[in-house]
Amino acid sequence: MRPPLARLELRNVSKTYADASQPVEVLHGISLTAEAGSITALVGRSGCGKTTLLNLAGAMDFPTTGEVLIDGRSTASLNDRELTALRRTRVGFVFQFFQLLPTLTVLENVELPLLLAGAAKPAETARDRLRWVELEDKAASLPHQLSGGQMQRVAIARALAHSPDILIADEPTGNLDTASGDQVLDLLRDAARNFGSTVLIATHSAEAASIAGTRVQLRDGRIQSIDRA
Amino acid sequence: MKLLRSLILRPLRRDPLRTALTILSVALGIAVIVAIDLAGDAATGSFRASMETLAGKTDLEILANGGIDEPWIGALDALPVRATFSPVMEGQAVVDGAGPIPFYGVDLVAAALEAPEPGGSQTVTATVSGRRQELKPARLVHSDSGDILVADIAAAQQALGRFGKLDRIDVTIGHGEDLARVEQAIRAMLPPAYLVERPGVRSDENQRMLRAFRWNLRVLGYISLVVGAFLIYNTISISVVRRRGEIGVLRALGAGRAAVLGLFLAEALLLGVAGAALGIALGRLLAGVTVRTISETVNALYTTSRPTPVELTWSEAWMGLLTGAVVALASAFAPAREAMMVAPVEAMGRGAHEHRARLRWRRGLVWAGLFAAAALAASQARPLDGYPVGGYVAALFSIGAAAFAAPALVLAANYFTRAVTRRRVAALLAGRSLTASLSRSSVVVAALATAIAMMASVGIMVGSFRETVALWLDVQLRADFYVRTSARSAAGQFPALADGAVAALQFIPGVAAVDAFHGTELHFRGERSTLGSGNLEIVRRYGRLRFIAGENRDAILRSLPGRDRAIISEPFALRNSIHAGDRLTIPIGAHTVVLTVAGIYYDYSSSQGYVILDNSTLLRYLPNQPATNAAVYLAPGADRAVVLRALRLRTAAYGVSVAPNSELRRASIEIFDRTFAITWALEAVAILVAMLGAANSLLALVLDRRRELGLLRYLGASAAQIRGMILTEAAFLGLLAAILGLALGGALSLLLVFVVNKQSFGWTIQFHPPRELLAGALALVWCVTVLAGLYPARVASRLNPIDVIHEE
Ligand SMILES: Nc1ncnc2c1ncn2[C@@H]1O[C@H](COP(=O)(O)OP(=O)(O)OP(=O)(O)O)[C@@H](O)[C@H]1O
Ligand SMILES: [Mg+2]
Repeated sequence: MRPPLARLELRNVSKTYADASQPVEVLHGISLTAEAGSITALVGRSGCGKTTLLNLAGAMDFPTTGEVLIDGRSTASLNDRELTALRRTRVGFVFQFFQLLPTLTVLENVELPLLLAGAAKPAETARDRLRWVELEDKAASLPHQLSGGQMQRVAIARALAHSPDILIADEPTGNLDTASGDQVLDLLRDAARNFGSTVLIATHSAEAASIAGTRVQLRDGRIQSIDRA
Repeated sequence: MKLLRSLILRPLRRDPLRTALTILSVALGIAVIVAIDLAGDAATGSFRASMETLAGKTDLEILANGGIDEPWIGALDALPVRATFSPVMEGQAVVDGAGPIPFYGVDLVAAALEAPEPGGSQTVTATVSGRRQELKPARLVHSDSGDILVADIAAAQQALGRFGKLDRIDVTIGHGEDLARVEQAIRAMLPPAYLVERPGVRSDENQRMLRAFRWNLRVLGYISLVVGAFLIYNTISISVVRRRGEIGVLRALGAGRAAVLGLFLAEALLLGVAGAALGIALGRLLAGVTVRTISETVNALYTTSRPTPVELTWSEAWMGLLTGAVVALASAFAPAREAMMVAPVEAMGRGAHEHRARLRWRRGLVWAGLFAAAALAASQARPLDGYPVGGYVAALFSIGAAAFAAPALVLAANYFTRAVTRRRVAALLAGRSLTASLSRSSVVVAALATAIAMMASVGIMVGSFRETVALWLDVQLRADFYVRTSARSAAGQFPALADGAVAALQFIPGVAAVDAFHGTELHFRGERSTLGSGNLEIVRRYGRLRFIAGENRDAILRSLPGRDRAIISEPFALRNSIHAGDRLTIPIGAHTVVLTVAGIYYDYSSSQGYVILDNSTLLRYLPNQPATNAAVYLAPGADRAVVLRALRLRTAAYGVSVAPNSELRRASIEIFDRTFAITWALEAVAILVAMLGAANSLLALVLDRRRELGLLRYLGASAAQIRGMILTEAAFLGLLAAILGLALGGALSLLLVFVVNKQSFGWTIQFHPPRELLAGALALVWCVTVLAGLYPARVASRLNPIDVIHEE
């Protein structure tokens, strides 16, 4: 009998950037699995390849060799339409710099993925997510009227709008003070617990790494160690 | 210098496409101006009759309205001065294998070009005044500016049906003789009604007649340049907005304000000069294409001219460069000044900057109001030295008002469409991003609107004009048939009907009346118009001449026969500030006649105008004046087809053509359409420039929002959605521009119809906007704008989200 499929699996993944001058290999032979509802933290120095790995995991980019499998399907085998569908239904992203659209209200920002996907009742769902991040009262505000922590919570609400199976957060607390950071981390933990999302976090902070069940230490594009709590 | 390289040249090179689009749009603007100037010069350049160049230098010319009586040449020869007097007849002839060419009658023996050919004098068969004739002695002369036909003076008089008359006497003074003395002697002997002028006066007359026409063409060209100016403004604004950070750092590192200002002005100058250089070359090419059209118009409306080769002079080239540079600097000044104001290490990002722009819409509206008021005030001004300067100033103010109103319009449109766009994600994002980059998008809207307004206003003006002319033709061309020589004649030419032709018409059964018209060139106050006469009793009974408001047609027409009274056309009245009841002193033949102006009538066939007498009056002063055309009125109940056949049969021998009035109407409208063909070409260029501008600006918006577009991909937007969003933006911009452009175009068309045209040509045009045409054109422009969005949309959908989202 085969073991159940891991939700996300990286098999011997390498990534080389073919730069104008010379190719740079930034990831070497990475293998990793993440189950539904688990939290995995990627830690390591700046430039070690965290963001690159997250982009591969979120099917925004593709490995040079090896495979990234989501529910057993290789991301490289998907065509453009399937990739868009994947992003619309299965993957959510949270960024270090929040990346809210400055011209849309908080509610509209959260609605955006749903609108793009053509989902039913986008406003209700968005409101629900805002309630969940406790920012319902800010629904009509514009992003620049919020604090950094609030913006990141909106970003998490947005990433969770379509209840993604995989939530990818690239240094979500990198620009926040400890208190706001903690709030964000709590939300990510809840996401894994309540939505059953597979959460992948890249981070510098020990704090952030502490919520993860699995901690992957990267160094120069290689896995140095994997600790399971 | 180093700064210029790194801060200006490198970004320009990084965006080669946008740079190219900006340069191209300036180039098109300049090209139009250069083309119009060059083509205008070439089309009107050859007034100096070919004969003058052949026969050598002339010192004086003697002219008379209605011609000089031939015996005077003998009297002049007897004057005790050392001068030669050469009689000249002028006309047109068609020789086998060559179209209409200038035809001159001269004293072949006396004229120096005379060394009779070895074969002695020749015979040339040519069609003159509609009749095929043998001219002897005569010869074809080949010159640089084309062929001309020269015949002996007597043969020419016979061919032209002008016995005993001379069109002109050229005077050449002998060596050592005093010009003033000769002139004085001539004047003392000739009747005071004869004109004695320095040569070149005729060219001057021509140039003066044409200057309003050329000036208006040129102004049309400048509108394309205004569109180009908006685009430069846009480009420089973009480069300032994008480099605010860099500018701040520079300032912190010690760069002065002047240096920053200079930097961006240099960028503009670079674009302006590059565009101008390209535009001059392009204009030279365009001129070659348009010279024919312009010269046809000149021939149809003003005077006979033959196009000379297009010549690009250094001064013209420098003017083009200078114009490009000045326009570029002027339009870049505001954004460059803004760059100068950036404080060292200013943290203000685009968001805050745009936020401020959004707050300024109210102030924009106030300015728009002020500009509109200024436009209104300027439109009331009287013409300056014959130019409708107030009208042009008002047009500029109107464009300014529209530009200031653009931000408010973008915001308002977005506000009111919120409910609708909210449901479509592409529309929602498009609307928001346009308001987010308000300062940018409103410039695009203003630029597009200017181009659309130009198209709409000229369309409305020409459409109204055409309708007015068509209505007028209906009224004017009351006669059933019109008879003239079958020679194709240009404006300013009055080929005579053959002797007996009019009489032959008279006694055909079914013909109720024949009105013989006598037209001749009128030299009046340094310009040329037409002096004519008809049987005004017939006009009164059968015609429908319309006089300006408040005048009694019947009484006026009754008052003319047998008296020194005249009616004049509206352009003639306006041009010379003459009112009904005024006295008009006009030399006719050897007489100086004081005419009382009985009335002013509407006419759209000549901007130079007419002075019309009754036949009885004209023939008293010019007894042998030949008729130049005739109008035939049918008796009630007569069969048109039968009468037409009879007319043609009876006049076959006289070389005349008989046309039913429907044909004449059609021909007139055709001439009208041909005249305005060039205007449409200019419109096309303006639209092209606007389209380039739209593409350019949308591309800038895309490149500026790279990060946002990348983010949308992360959030699940498909490439098609991104494309759709940019195209929606294009459509939205196009729509707003159409709305604003239509409003501005309406205002400009009022200026064109009621101020510019009235003041420069003297025509009263009724307002008849061509609705279907306008709707079609607007739809077309709108489609073109959306098309212009295709490339930017493609660029947007192909951005690599990973690359752009981490740029910061
Ligand atoms: N498009 C690219 N072309 C070439 N090299 C790249 C590209 N993107 C990233 N790199 C290189 O790959 C390496 C890994 O980059 P990555 O962004 O994954 O690091 P990171 O661990 O996320 O660092 P940080 O903690 O600073 O965000 C770096 O050395 C970087 O220079
Ligand atoms: Mg990173």
